[in-house]
Amino acid sequence: MAQAMVKRIVSSSACTFAGLAQKTYIRNVAASSKVAASKKERVLPTEGEITKSVFMSQSTDIYTNLALEDWLYKNMDFTNHHVMMVWRNEPCVVIGRHQNPWLEANVPLLSEKEIALARRNSGGGTVYHDRGNLNITFFTPRERYDRNYNLKLIKRALFRSFGIKSTINERQDLIVRDKYKVSGTAAKLGRLTGYHHCTLLVNANKADLSKALAKREHGIQTKATASTRSEVANLKDLDNRITVENLQTALGYEYLRTPALHLDDGGQSLIAKQRGFQFVNPTDDWFPGLAELKNDLVSWDWCFGRTPMFTVSRSFPVPIGLLAPSKVYSATQELVINMTVEKGLINDVTLSIPPGLIESGFHGEASVITHLKGKRFTSEALNALQDAMLTRHHVSDVKELDDKEQFVAKCFDQVVNTM
Amino acid sequence: MAIQRCLVQIVKTYKLRHHLQSNIRQTYCMLCLKYSTAGSSRKYTDRHEWVTIDKDIGTVGVSEYAQESLGDVVFAQLPDPGTDLKAGDECGALESVKAASEIYSPLSGTVTEKNKDVEDKPALINTSCYDKGWLFRLKIIKQSEINDLMTEEEYKKFLKTDAEKPG
Repeated sequence: MAQAMVKRIVSSSACTFAGLAQKTYIRNVAASSKVAASKKERVLPTEGEITKSVFMSQSTDIYTNLALEDWLYKNMDFTNHHVMMVWRNEPCVVIGRHQNPWLEANVPLLSEKEIALARRNSGGGTVYHDRGNLNITFFTPRERYDRNYNLKLIKRALFRSFGIKSTINERQDLIVRDKYKVSGTAAKLGRLTGYHHCTLLVNANKADLSKALAKREHGIQTKATASTRSEVANLKDLDNRITVENLQTALGYEYLRTPALHLDDGGQSLIAKQRGFQFVNPTDDWFPGLAELKNDLVSWDWCFGRTPMFTVSRSFPVPIGLLAPSKVYSATQELVINMTVEKGLINDVTLSIPPGLIESGFHGEASVITHLKGKRFTSEALNALQDAMLTRHHVSDVKELDDKEQFVAKCFDQVVNTM
Repeated sequence: MAIQRCLVQIVKTYKLRHHLQSNIRQTYCMLCLKYSTAGSSRKYTDRHEWVTIDKDIGTVGVSEYAQESLGDVVFAQLPDPGTDLKAGDECGALESVKAASEIYSPLSGTVTEKNKDVEDKPALINTSCYDKGWLFRLKIIKQSEINDLMTEEEYKKFLKTDAEKPG
């Protein structure tokens, strides 16, 4: 039945989208005239006039899927047509719009394990995605954004199709077995459209999840939105028949059989009135401008550069071998590094060098500070620092840093790689 | 003698208390006047931003209604000074209970200042949305756009119809 329904819609999806693209232009014109007459109110349709669709994204690339979400938010008119989009991704960590990636994710591990890092447009905390995790986005007009309706709908689908009991806690997380989180929620609200998206852990790799989000010693201080850590569970642990595929079908049917504005069961007759399931291929041909949105989302300037201002402060004990003999037994000899990072770029550096290290002949302080300013808070800064210290060597044949310089460089490495 | 001194003391205390009370009452009245929204020159958008205008500088914030429906604001992303905005442009966001809500500029102009206190302490938007919780200031380039905004009275009427709408 499900298969047949999907197939029927695939054949008609091409023409549906031709219509969709046309409507987009109408909406753009409508939006610009709206600004001029800002006092004018929008008339929303009654529940019976609203139809629903389930979009199934054919991409598993996080940046493409976020771009698609953004494209639909910006260009589609949801006044008479509510949409639920289901999508999933290859392994990635997704941070909230106003978060600090160095604080939320294990950045060095991500590049090592080829896990992508992405910043989304919605608020909220950091989540881990892989093929065992289903993402669901609910698009509605801003006035009809209703997170509670969406979460209850998921809860009903889990019970109807798999007999899984879940609860919604005060943080609006979906919880199973009293405390284990299976779903994280976030939302974006604009002038005309609002969307709520959430994750559902089906059989995600929990070991990778906790490694990718592991909290480490980093000394970062910031006003950025912080994540709330929760113990998580996979839905597969509650019912091993459940897969991402059959869950998205179950959720799709639940969405279509439920009226648009209140939770009720409209059954088969309501499903028949809806626009049904539609496969969506997120390419620039189908969605003009999608590639540009994606390029912005992939960029370093968006993922890291949009981090709210933060300071990082770390201290490192200097090994005895590097200290001047007279200072070895005096009070703790620590190298203290303070940095302010704005828009992902190092803005201000202070370096406190213990007397023991100065007396033993380290003079790199000034070059450290001037050469780090304006560099990205990555290993790029470290390379610049090492080059700067090397050029200070008057004898041109010395191509290596001395022990003290190497120690300072190593400390900086630990700061920018937040180890 | 002792009784007399005592009486004088009582009278003095009474006088002092009376004086203080009347003073307090006065300050309270002044406060009422200061925070009263009646007859203010604030203008509103249909997205619940407000703007007050002093010559060519507009100060922008969000309304009490917006503040209440947002809930606790945990992060304020404000436009940087020097940013050129058109009326209706997206120019920042307020984050509360996992939702990022866009801020739109009520007027066209160039941002001259953002409220750093709100960036440090976003809760000011909840506690003082019309005063300490202002968001940014801009130099207005199209005075005529001010007429497109709602007055206090019109906005109140708008809120009423907005609340009565089903859903």
